[in-house]
Parts: sequence; C-alpha cells; structure tokens
Amino acid sequence: MPRVAQLLGAGAATMLWLASVATAGVTNPNISVIGQPFTRWTDQAGDPSAQRAILDVGETEFVYDDYLNPYGKGFFTVSLSGDGVTLEEGYFSLLRGLPLGLTLKGGKYRVGFGKLNPMHPHALPFAERFGVMSYLPGSGAFNETGVDLTARLPAPGDWSITAYGDVLQGDSFRIARSPSLAPNDPLLDSGDRAQEPRPGVVGRLAAFGQIGDRSGIEIGLSATHGTNNVAAAARTTVFGGDAKLKLWTSANAYLLVQGELLHQRRDDAGWDGAAAAYTLTTINKTGGYLFADYNFRTRYNLGASYERFGDSYMDVTNQAVGAYAGLALLEETTAFRVDVVHAMPGTPAGAVSPDAVNTVTARVIYSMGPHKAHQF
Amino acid sequence: MTRRLLFLLALCALFSATPAAAKVRVAASLNDLASIASSVGGDQVEVFAIARPTTDVHRVEALPSYMVKVSRAQIYLKVGLGLDQWADAIIDGSRNEHLKMVDCSKGVHVLEVPTGRVDASMGDVHPNGNPHYWLDPRNGAIVARTIAEALAEVDPSHAADYRGRAEAFARDVESAFAHEKQMAAAFPRKSIFTYHKSWSYFADAFGLEVVENAEPIPGIPPTARHLADLVAIAKSRHIPLLLQEPYFSGDAGQFLAREAGVRAVVATPCCDAITAGSYLAHFDTVLHAIGDAMKETP
Repeated sequence: MPRVAQLLGAGAATMLWLASVATAGVTNPNISVIGQPFTRWTDQAGDPSAQRAILDVGETEFVYDDYLNPYGKGFFTVSLSGDGVTLEEGYFSLLRGLPLGLTLKGGKYRVGFGKLNPMHPHALPFAERFGVMSYLPGSGAFNETGVDLTARLPAPGDWSITAYGDVLQGDSFRIARSPSLAPNDPLLDSGDRAQEPRPGVVGRLAAFGQIGDRSGIEIGLSATHGTNNVAAAARTTVFGGDAKLKLWTSANAYLLVQGELLHQRRDDAGWDGAAAAYTLTTINKTGGYLFADYNFRTRYNLGASYERFGDSYMDVTNQAVGAYAGLALLEETTAFRVDVVHAMPGTPAGAVSPDAVNTVTARVIYSMGPHKAHQF
Repeated sequence: MTRRLLFLLALCALFSATPAAAKVRVAASLNDLASIASSVGGDQVEVFAIARPTTDVHRVEALPSYMVKVSRAQIYLKVGLGLDQWADAIIDGSRNEHLKMVDCSKGVHVLEVPTGRVDASMGDVHPNGNPHYWLDPRNGAIVARTIAEALAEVDPSHAADYRGRAEAFARDVESAFAHEKQMAAAFPRKSIFTYHKSWSYFADAFGLEVVENAEPIPGIPPTARHLADLVAIAKSRHIPLLLQEPYFSGDAGQFLAREAGVRAVVATPCCDAITAGSYLAHFDTVLHAIGDAMKETP
C-alpha cells in the first residue's frame, strides 16, 4: 500500500472517529457557484482566432464546504470547463484537536507552494497565471492528492510563523518523454513505468507580521521534490521564495505588492539506444514575477505586472508586462476585470526574433453563495 | 535526597497551580464588545478587539496575526446575526480548541428581521435581522450580562465579581441613557437620513426617525435616481442631516449637501477604545455631533 494512501486512510479513520464523538447536527454544506465568462483578443501568429475576439464561457466552479464536526471542515470544488467535469479539490481539514496545535489536511488540493498556486483563478486580479508558474508540477496548477500537516511555530509578539509539510501522490511530477526511435527504447513496451507511484514532497515556511492596524507583510520559502520519470529515476526539484506586502493607505484603499522567485532543477530523461541505458540531462531554470495592485474606494483596482523567466524547454528568456483594472460591482457578487499583456518571447541563438504578442482579456466573475469574486 | 524531592515537589507545584492573578484573556470582534467586557471583567480580564473602529465591520480580513492573538484567548465575543462571519476564519485559524465562543446577540430584541424568502435581489440583507444592536445602549446592558455569565463559567472563582459588575454596568447604562435621551429630545428635528442601516437601533433608542438610507437597498451604493428621490424628500420634509460611516464614499453626502442642504455627519458605528467607559461615551459623542449639525442647519 503506498505511503500516501496509508496516511490518507489514517486521516480518514481519525475523521470518522471524531465524527462519532462530535455532537454536531446534520446540516447541508454551503454551496457557491462561480461563473467566469470572458472575451479575448490576441495577435499571436498561428492562433486561429488571432485578430478576432473570441467569447468563452470559461470555467464554472461549484464550491461545497462546511464544518464536519467541531474539529474539522470539508471542501469540494467541482470544475466545469471545456475539459469536462473535474474534481478540482476535495479534502478534509482537521482544524483543532490534534496535539501541539497541528492541523491536518487530506485529499486533493491546490498545493500550498508560494502565494499564487493555492489561489483559485477567480481570486486573481489578472486573467492568466504567470508563465513562471509552469516550473511547478502539473498543468494549469500544482494540484495533487496528498496529506498536509501544518504547525505554527513559536514567534515573537504577534508574528505568525507557520511550517507546512506535504506528502503527495506525486503523479503531477510525471513528464512524458519523447520516443528516441531506437528499437530497444523501453518507452514502447513499459511506457517508462509512468503508472508506478512515487511520492512527492513539499515543504513551506511562511512568516506574517502585522504593520499598524491592518497592513501586513508575509514572506515565505517553499520547496518541492518528486520523480518525473520513474524508469530513469529522473527528478524535479523546485525552490521558491515569495513576499507579499499589503499596505492600507486609507479606510478603503490599499496597495498590494507581491512577487515570487522560482528555481527549477529538472532531470530530463532520454534513451541511449547504443548503450541500452537511460540518460539524464539536468536543466536549471530561474524566473519570477512581481505585481502591484492598488485597490481603492472598495470597488476598484488598478495594477501592473512584470515577469521574466527562463523557458522550461528552450534556451531562451521570456518576458511579459501587463496592466489590469477591475470593478467589483455590488458586494463582490459581480466583478469585471480587464487585463492587457504584452509578452516578449525570448529569441533562440541564431534565430529571428519572434514578434511580441499582445493579448486583451475581459472577464465577468459572478457568484451565488458565500464564496465571492474576492480580490487579494 | 530529601532536598531534591522538595525541590521537585516545589517545581511541580509551580507548574500545576494556576496563578491567582492570571487574567482571563478575552477577544472580541468589535471595540464595543471589548469595552463592555472591560467594564464587566475589571482587573481580572485582558481584552482586545479585532476590527478597528474605522473599519467596515462587514469586511474584516482574517490576518494571521489575529489568529495568533486569538490562540492565546479563552473567550471570543462575536456580534452574531451574520455580521462578523469573518471571525470564523480567525477562530479556525487560531487552532484554539479551548476557546469559548459567545454570541453576544443572545437575548437582544432584534430589529428588522425579514419575513419570507431572503435572497440577494434584496441586497446585503441579514436573514436573522439587523446585527448592529450594540448601537442601542440598552442592548449593551444585555450584552454585559451575557459576558458576565461567560466569564463566570471560565473563571468561577470570580463569578460574583463579574455578575456584580454587569449589574453595575446596567445601572450606568440606565443613567447615561436617561441623560442622552434628554439630549436627543432637545434636537429641533427628529427625522434624518443614514447611509447604511447601521443606525436603526440608535435611532430607535433615541427617538429619531430614519426617513431613508443613502443606499437604495442594503449594501448597494447610491444610484443617481435614488439620490434625486432623497433630494426631493429632504426638501419636502426638511431633513437636516445624513449620518454615515467614515468608510463609505462621501460623494452622496456632498451631493445631498449641495442640492438639499443636508449636512453629512461622519461617525464610526463603533467606539474608539476597548477600555471601560468607551462604549457609553461613544453615544455621547455621536449625539453631540448630531446636535451640533442640527444647530448649524438653517
């Protein structure tokens, strides 16, 4: 039995035991439905919709959450999109009752690496995640089945220092290798044993300090490690540092500045037909993003972003600048957001410099239920 | 050997005994609840509040530093009635399994309880009624008794002190309220506008009539049509002032002042400090501000 499954089983057994001793009544969960239709225009060469605006219903999220008993909560997020119906998140969270003030989370969830990855897209002030986030395992988001144990560490004053440790199933680390065309390439027979589980791990240390009445600064360090090719024993490791500063400038206006720096160290597996052995090429890439968002009069926000990162699969450095604006119409149940991104793809050595790509996205985020189109 | 044993016994006694002077730590969502807790708890409690008086109490961010503070508390005082739902995230994040949660709305006569189905087309309506009950000082006396019982449960050795102080606070409320009612009775006009429905209990307590709110429905910013209606009402009924919180836009107030001579009185719905006495002093402050504005209105 894989270790992750054992841990999950133990967590589920604990929940069942706690449920049996709890006196909570039977209730229905809170239900929220969040729609995110958008229109987009791009001048990217080769895009079939280039120079034409497209309309898309986007992703619809169904969020179910509530207390399970006095000790824990349950969360489910079901996503409907062009990819079909997927369980984006489904986990229990033990909030109290464990020794040393530990909390335990188990199930499928957006992994708490850095500040941006755990956020759902409807909570972002901009339309797309930054390209540098592709350093993390998984497509779209680093979202895995696993167990997360969290401890609050002793800290001076009202500082909050929290340590997180996760053991993950590890499937999101897998990278499909291109066939080598050698007749003895095991990819043709065993598929590089991609179905075999190999757990991944995540660690994070985050500190939050309050500035004045409502402002605060948060800094964090994260790391994750897992196997991207089981047969070749190829690994991926990502290190990250993040900082977020939120400064209230008046009763209903604040400035938020956030940035992350990521470094990916990845073994790329290959097959040497002559030697009948796997080869490993180690790739090191670094990149980061920075954005500033000014939220004023409670309902409006304006922001700008910059990112620069080494492309994961080409020896080039990509850059992008963006500007965005938002309006939360009424009580954040209906929000409008527009963003403009000017992406500057890197130029491979000896190649002609590619054109910059401009993309304009306008979104409406509407929600029914307690989960709103909340901003940062 | 005997000396070592005595030393160990002394050490055990030191760590097992509860210090006689240990204070009960009380966390509160608002300054007002914290101030009442200070009055009731006296020197036997240590009190702090989460929301600043200038903050919109409907929207408070659950900062990790608040969670750390609440992790050290023994009692949490919630407003209840759906106002401070953000407190749940702070309480959950505190990981404090010994925390006693107290819903301070218990026993309060709740105003504006909607009948029938409630949905978002009605704006930000609280399904269990208007939650701004602390703005009637008579409800402060009810809250004091609720807090006294919670403190008595957590710290039974001082139960009589807590109950005694709650009764003394209720008497203070009675005398202060009698004086403040006289102040309000002397106002040349009794009809006012308020921005949000925060002041319903206040108006009810002091005999004021809230003719209209700047928000057409709760939580919805003023529209041009609604403001035009308010101008007409202000002129026909000689409304002297608009009472509004500092965190709402001043645009509506400026428009009403320009078009209908309505003065905007900006006042926080929460008291300034968590100290004993601050809660009752807040009513004086707001009533004086209203009185001054009325004097200046032609």
